[in-house]
Amino acid sequence: MTHLKPVNRKAVRIEQAAANDVVALQRNGVPQMPHFPIGCSLVFSPGWEADHSGGTAGLCQPVERDIFDCHIGCYWPAQVPDQLNHAPDWTAKCAAAQKDWRKLDLIFP
Amino acid sequence: MNRIALAWCLAMMCVPATARAQAPPRAAPAEVVADEGIPVDSTVVKSRCGACHRSDDKGRMSRISYRRATAENWELTIKRMVALNHVTLSPEDARSVLKYLTDHQGLAPEELRPIVFEGEHRMVEFAYTADETTARLCSSCHSIARVLSERRTKEEWQLLITMHRALYPLVDTQPMNSGSGFMRAGGRGGRGRVSAPATGRGSQTARGGGTAAADAPADDRNPVDVALEHLEKALPLETSEWSAWSAAMQPPKLAGRWAVSGSQVGKGAVYGEMTIAADPGAADTFTTEIRYTVARTGENVTRRGKAVVYTGYQWRGRADDWRETMFVERDWKQMWGRWFTGAYDETGVDVKLTRITADPIVLGASVTAVKTGSTGQNIRIFGANLPESIRAEDIGLGQGVKVTRVVSARPNELSVEVDVAAGAPIGARDASVAGTVRPALVVVYDKVDGVKVVPEAGMARVGGAAFPKQLQQFEADGVNNGPDGKPDTADDLNLGPVDVKWSMEEYPATFNDDDTQYVGVLDQTGLFTPNVDGPNPKRSGNRNNVGDVWVVAELAGARPIRARAHLLVTVPVYMNWFSEANTSKTNGSPAGRQ
Repeated sequence: MTHLKPVNRKAVRIEQAAANDVVALQRNGVPQMPHFPIGCSLVFSPGWEADHSGGTAGLCQPVERDIFDCHIGCYWPAQVPDQLNHAPDWTAKCAAAQKDWRKLDLIFP
Repeated sequence: MNRIALAWCLAMMCVPATARAQAPPRAAPAEVVADEGIPVDSTVVKSRCGACHRSDDKGRMSRISYRRATAENWELTIKRMVALNHVTLSPEDARSVLKYLTDHQGLAPEELRPIVFEGEHRMVEFAYTADETTARLCSSCHSIARVLSERRTKEEWQLLITMHRALYPLVDTQPMNSGSGFMRAGGRGGRGRVSAPATGRGSQTARGGGTAAADAPADDRNPVDVALEHLEKALPLETSEWSAWSAAMQPPKLAGRWAVSGSQVGKGAVYGEMTIAADPGAADTFTTEIRYTVARTGENVTRRGKAVVYTGYQWRGRADDWRETMFVERDWKQMWGRWFTGAYDETGVDVKLTRITADPIVLGASVTAVKTGSTGQNIRIFGANLPESIRAEDIGLGQGVKVTRVVSARPNELSVEVDVAAGAPIGARDASVAGTVRPALVVVYDKVDGVKVVPEAGMARVGGAAFPKQLQQFEADGVNNGPDGKPDTADDLNLGPVDVKWSMEEYPATFNDDDTQYVGVLDQTGLFTPNVDGPNPKRSGNRNNVGDVWVVAELAGARPIRARAHLLVTVPVYMNWFSEANTSKTNGSPAGRQ
């Protein structure tokens, strides 16, 4: 993102949040700030099943791409196991969701 | 000395005023209604929950005594205590605690009626109209029924908000469904204004106050505060309905034979019998034997199970791998609800049970509609206590319909042949059999004018690799325009399921929409089975097998008739809140427990 410059305040906030996103969290030595999700859910604000127009075009595609943000940020607490309380180890075996999604479990809270 | 003393006195007099001026403003304390709270009178609850929930001198336990809820809601609470608060409970103790709390701190029948769909695991469109802000805010993550399934004191509703913030910290700011989170979004002129209806994404009012709604002044409160005010007023702990029911309630005596009348999407009507026996070992517990026939096909189903009744009227049963949720009416002569199964409980039968007495009862027929001018059509009539020696002339089916022959007669089923006159008026016919009348047993029609696919909007979830599939069954019903000849009017006749050819067509929502190739398979019984979960490398962008399509039913004829419904195929839900190891023969999921 070094060739892009934020033009409005929202973009500045996204750039600041991206500095502490999931990939960064996996690196050692980086200051651990609270994680603020920046994925599809926040940007498009769809429902879990359907987007704003009632279809699936506005959802994160594939859903696995946004799974960490949904999980770590407890963004979809009734649909995606939340990291804070119910399922802190949900993605323990799943470093890259798009490849390891089969290692995610169905949770019975 | 005098001056010093005077100065000292003045200083002393000034101090309290200064202190008052400097004291921080105190928030108005939450109103405490003096004698609120329901004392807990159960050794199990007091011993298993008392370590954290302290009792007062009136036997009221902290948090617990200030809330009423349905069985499902109390169950979630108990599960949360185990999951998050280090409680260990044996299954027997958990069941006892659940039974006590639901019975003594439950919902009255009239309080539960609007939201029976939650316990029935039924997917419906439900609009909570009492307060729009509450409805939108509180149904963004979970169903509004979750809220309506409990009653709390003022302080407890406030503590519920606190719990949301503690467990899910983003709830204040995340803009769910293009609205706002608990707190108003965007500061002055932001789009979280309570009074303005959602006008769609990206509608930002100008800074410094945008266009106010027609009825000024706009409500500037945070949505959560509006919702809280509504909840405290609309769903209080003490209500006249609950006072009345908790006094009148008693263990229902349901043993006996019950006639079952049901309908299952895709299969049509089902008729049969449930025999209930009281379980002497435990109060409010029953064992059941169920036998029913799918009217159109003659398929027979039998199951055995058991059930518990909560709060004197809430039946929760399990028969083989099916689950039952039913509402017991106060006269103990009728029960109704849903029996369901499936990984997401999407397969189900809507049922109505009526107690069988000595009188004959007619439940339904194997055909839903008969055509004018037809002869010798066979109809099986289902019921109970039907006389075996009945004659054709003792069965009345109304104008223009003549029962010509009784082919066979058993107490629970008659088989007859009917002729329908060419000029018989179209419309429903009541059936009179041995002195009992079953209204609208069959419909007389002259032609099929249209087809209607139900449900109009279906939903399925991909699954099968890591998470369960959610199936969607469709049904195509024939429609006659009725005597006025106009479609979609009040006198239209529903002719019941008709045989159609099923297919899927693309619902174009975006450029190069190709969902029909990926979402799954629709078979010729109207059952849609979705594709597998996970990213699909064959799809552009590695997308999931999700999408939305038209489900089309075509009725063959001189002029083919087509009807369609919308099907949304979407992503799984990764948490199963209400299942205890559901087994479904058709979803094929290896989903395991954590």
